Formats: sequence, C-alpha cells, structure tokens
Amino acid sequence: MIARLIIGAIVLALLAGVAFGAPSLMSDYFVRILLIIALNAIFVLSLSLSNGFTGVFSLGHVGFIGAGAYLSGILSLTVAQKASLLPHLPTFLNWFSLPFLPATLVAGCFTALLAIIVGYPLMRLSGYFVSVATMGFLIIVNVVLINASDFTRGARTFTGVPLDTSLPWVFGWLAITLFVLWRLVYSPFGRRMKAVRDDTIAASAIGISMLNTRLTAFAIGAFFAGVGGSLYAHYLGSFSPVTFYFAMTMNLIAMLVLGGMGSLSGAVIGVVCVSLLSELLRSVERGFTIGDITVPALFGASQIVLGFIFILIMIFRPKGIMGERELTFGLFKRSAKSEIKQGVL
Amino acid sequence: MTNINRRTALGLGLSTAFVLATTGRSLAADPIKIGFPANLTGNAASLDGPMLNGGKLAAAEINAAGGVLGRPIELVVYDTKSDATVISTVASQLIDSDKVVAIVAFSDSDSVLAIGPQIQKAQIPLITPGATSPKLPSQLGNEVFLACFGDNVQAAVGAEFALNNLKAKTGYLLTDLGTEYTTLLSDYFVKTYEHGGGKLLGKDTYKTGDKTFTAQIAKIKALPEAPGFIYSASLVDEVTLILKQLRQAGINIPVVGGDGYDSPLLLEVGGKAAEGAYFTTHSYIGAGATPKVQKFMDAYKAANKVDPENAFAALGYDAVKLMADSIKRAGAVDSAKIRDAIAATSGLAAVTGTITYRPGIAVPDKSVSVIGVKDGKLFLASEAAPSFVPEP
Repeated sequence: MIARLIIGAIVLALLAGVAFGAPSLMSDYFVRILLIIALNAIFVLSLSLSNGFTGVFSLGHVGFIGAGAYLSGILSLTVAQKASLLPHLPTFLNWFSLPFLPATLVAGCFTALLAIIVGYPLMRLSGYFVSVATMGFLIIVNVVLINASDFTRGARTFTGVPLDTSLPWVFGWLAITLFVLWRLVYSPFGRRMKAVRDDTIAASAIGISMLNTRLTAFAIGAFFAGVGGSLYAHYLGSFSPVTFYFAMTMNLIAMLVLGGMGSLSGAVIGVVCVSLLSELLRSVERGFTIGDITVPALFGASQIVLGFIFILIMIFRPKGIMGERELTFGLFKRSAKSEIKQGVL
Repeated sequence: MTNINRRTALGLGLSTAFVLATTGRSLAADPIKIGFPANLTGNAASLDGPMLNGGKLAAAEINAAGGVLGRPIELVVYDTKSDATVISTVASQLIDSDKVVAIVAFSDSDSVLAIGPQIQKAQIPLITPGATSPKLPSQLGNEVFLACFGDNVQAAVGAEFALNNLKAKTGYLLTDLGTEYTTLLSDYFVKTYEHGGGKLLGKDTYKTGDKTFTAQIAKIKALPEAPGFIYSASLVDEVTLILKQLRQAGINIPVVGGDGYDSPLLLEVGGKAAEGAYFTTHSYIGAGATPKVQKFMDAYKAANKVDPENAFAALGYDAVKLMADSIKRAGAVDSAKIRDAIAATSGLAAVTGTITYRPGIAVPDKSVSVIGVKDGKLFLASEAAPSFVPEP
C-alpha cells in the first residue's frame, strides 16, 4: 500500500515536472506535440470506458466532445465578443463570461447529462445497433451545431475563444482522468462493466443491471469527453462543426483499437504511437536528402502509410498493442491477465 | 525477452528518426526562409494546390534573377491537411524550428484564423494570398495582410456592375448561411446596392449542401414585379444547381456572385444554364487575357504542365512576389522591418492587379474583374474599382 502511494506520488511529481518544466526547456513545437498527445489521451481514455470496458461500441463520442467545446466556448467569450460574434444569443447567456475552469466543469456536467438523456434509450441496444444509434447521435449534434446559429454561428468559424489551454492544465486533467478511470475500471463496478460486456445474459442472471452499468460508464465517459472538448476549444481558439465529425471519430477509434480496447495503458500507448508516427510521417513526406539520394515531397503519403500500418497491426495483433493487459511494471497485480490466473474472470 | 528487446529497439528507432526528421534540416543558413503552409490535402486542396504551384513559380523566377538582397529565397512548405490542429503545430514548427522570417499562407479565412494568434505572438508578418475576409486584420492583429481584395470590395463591384452595366434597378438576394464568406459577401452587397439607389424586391437564404431550391424559386416567381437580376452569395457547388433550376423554371435574368464561382465546375456542371451568370474575381485567366496574365499563364504551364486552374494560382504567385519585394525594400532580413515594408507597399504591379496598402489598412486597394458566361465560354465583362466601399 505504501509502495503504491510512493509510486503514485513519484508519477504525479514527474507529470508536474514535465508540465511546468517543458515549456522552458523545449521548443514550442515539442510542447504542442506533448499537449496534443495528452489531450488525445483524455479523449481516448474516456472513449475506452464505453467502447473497451463495457462493450458499447459508441461512434457518438465526438458528439460529446463537440458539445463540450461549443458550450465552454460560448461560456468563456467576453461580453463584448458575445455582442459582436453572437448578437442573437439569448439574454440568460449573454451578460456574463466564465473563467476557464468553471467553463470546463460546466461543459463536462452538461455532456454527462446529455449522455444520460441519450443513453437511457440507447444503452438498451447491443452490438451493431448501438454503434449505428450513437452515430445517429453524432449526426444530430453536427446538424444542431450548424443550424443553431444563434448559439454557434452555424457552419461559420466559431472564433475568439481565449487560448487558455496550457500543458499543466492538460496534464492535470489527464491525471484526474487516469486516476478516476483506474479506480473505476479495477473496482467491483469495473467487474460489472466487464461482465456486461463479456456475457450479457449471465450478468443479468446474477442480478447486474445492464442498463445502469452501461449508462453510468457512458455518462462518465461523456463527462471527460466534455472536459476534453473544452480544453480543445481553448487550445484551438477557433473551430467549426466540421472539426467534430467523422474524421475525428475515426482518428480516436483507430488510436483506441491500436492500443488495445480493454486496457487503460493501452489507450495511452495507442495515442502516443499514432501521434508520434503521424508527426514523423508528416515531416518525412516533405521530402528529404540522405547523401546523394533525394526523395521528393509526396504530400498525402503520411495518411497512406499510417493506414497501411493500421492494417498490418490488425493482421498481426488483432487485439491491439496491449490487448487486455496493463503496463504495470510489475507493481500492480491488477491486469486482466492476472485476474484470469486467479480465476476471477 | 526477445519480445521486449524488439519493442525497445523499435521504440528507439522511431524516436531517433523522429528527432532527426524534425531537427536535422537547418544546415544551410544561406537562403531567406519564407514559411508556406498550405492545405494540400483535405477539403481546401483544390484552392491551395494551385496557390502553392503559383508561389513556387514566383520563387523560382526570383532566384533565377539573383534572389533578394543577394540571397536566394526558400519556401518552407508544409501540408496542413485542412485541419486546425495540424495548422497550429505547423505554425510552431515554422516559427521555432525553421525560424522563418515571414509567412505566406492559405486561401480560406478559417485557416488564417487558426494560424493567426501564433504568428501575432511571434511577431512574424503573414500575407494570405486568397482569404478575402476584410475582417481578418482586425480580428487577428497588425501582422496579417491580404494580397487579395476584401469581400466588401468585390461585393461593391458586383452591385455597381448590376446597377451600371446590367441597368438593373431592382434585384433579389439569395444567401448561403453556411459559410462566413457568403454571409459577409451578402451583407456588403446589400449596403452598396441600396447606397447606389437599387431596390431589393426580396431576400432568401439556404445552407451549403442544399440540393433543391424549388421553394426559393417559387417565391421569386410569385413576386408581383420581376427583379432585374439575382445576386446569389454562393459557392460553386450550389450556384450551378441554382442556375439549372432557375432556368428550368423559366427565369432567365442574370445571376451575379463573387469569386466563390471561380472554378472550372461553373461551366462543366452548369452547362447551358450558366449563360447569363456573372462573377467578381481576382483576375481573368483564359483566352484573350491581358499580356501580363498571358505571360503568367505560359510560365505556369511550362512549370506545371497544366494551365492555371483558377485565380488562386495567380494569387499565390503574387503573394510571394509581394513578399520578396517587401524584403528587398526592407533592406534587411528582419521580421519587424519586413512588416513595415509590406504595409508601405505602393503601386506594385502584380498579375491580379496593382497592390497598394493605405496607411493602417491591411487590405489592398485592387481592381476587380467581372467575368461573364456567354455561349459556353468565359469573357471579361468589366474591370473596375468600386466608387463606394462599405466598411469592413
């Protein structure tokens, strides 16, 4: 127990050191790469709760991210900006402006509430049906963002959001996300989630409520999606509904599947691998010279190579890089594998 | 054990390659580096692709003539994939790793809005070849310049063309509410048209992606008095459909719009229905163009094996020429001096018109070409500067 606390403290200190030290040690470019990796880790971890651990393969996660981004964006515009950018905003929204943290929390709570409302009918579905239904939710969010132009400026760019997102903020939220999900996934509730995923009938037979379990996981995932959306909005400063659509959905799912669906460390590893690889390929595709050989620029090649690597990984490691295991450095006996050994699962 | 070794080796290899690829390219300090991020893939690719080709052509010509201040210029090109996240990473690469002194970037306002805060913070001047929102400099700051006219100018020319050349004292307005560009264009049009004594008989809207316009057309047919023309603030995909459905309904009045129509698709998809369409754009590129434009077209074709796809090719060319000219006038490779030199540009003869910035205004006064469609071909209907320009 004490060893675990010490490890936790060391990890936290390390995160804090990187978060506060990096901007003065590294170039802005590397800080941004770190920030985007951490941000994507929040998105993919919150996605793994429903898609990986509960077996609800949701395609609507980006809908929550978009809703969170727009809501926090509207809340944190200054009153003067609201008057010029959103002149038709209803009066209950246009007289105040929230700081970064409250706006983020409100966005998270709003998306969690949205998930409960949407999930109540949808979480009764299983398999392909729930995927299609959650995709419907994503489409609805997109259409609402485009048409509720009094709130969102429609398909036009939503701009002027203060650029508050810094490395300490994102690392802080990432630590909270990791901690909450870790406690949740490896708790009695976590076992209920996996039971519902692995055998719905057996789980119901021993008295586990399928709907409650799935709905809770879905709503907690949506909370962190909303929080991540707010961080993303305050990172970009300007965005439009098309930012939060299928391209982003596919990107997040690819990271999750690649890392391993049933593993928190797998989710993080998937994000790190895909982000670093696409950055690397993006630099290589501009063309380079090694000795006498000059490779010309081939823009667009990075997407092709990335897709090819995904195919290879799915052929040779269909469960993703980590599968159901956790990277524990031998300190925690909490991986799914050890549970199987102990006869728990 | 082998498993872990393999993984470690893979990780090490990847990270080494990553570091090499991102840091190992600043060997020759000799050329003057100008950042050129462009959306070469994704939904803005059909505009930014020709723009980059035009920019490269200009750089090649400048270097062939001895460069600027005795040094060649180098365009540092990145594909930003029409993605705001990639744009912000590329911006920091350009500023921190490549140490560019100035940036030429993008044909759409969204991308300029995404890169704006970073270049403003780093105090590096940026010229956008093709983003026409005249609000950009006031939204972002004093480092942002447009090489093209603002939407207020082209809308004003469109309105005055309707009043003076088409003799249309009454009009009807259709607006696409789906994009910033069409919404602004429509506002500016109304201001000039009504200022010039024109009367709008009605207004209607639709959204980008709509396919049927029967409701809007029925309203036009039901008007007690037929309007003299229709101003349609649209993108090319929708305006071809609008034209087809208008002509099918027997409405043959002229349709006027902005540079959103400037694509080969207008004639390819619009076909016969495109007769009587007019649009304002940066330059007339086609058969019978002015000698200056013809010279650019020939050089572009020689370099790229195709004719210039649209006016954005010429704008990319002009923006790089403008940047090189400003560096020359600044007399030093220094971002602050280059910024001041850009702001002081006066009477620079470019392919798309003469570029002059009035003091404190980062949108140039340029003449606007009005292009019409007749017998399935484009022709230059008018070239003018507006007599009244609405405030941005």
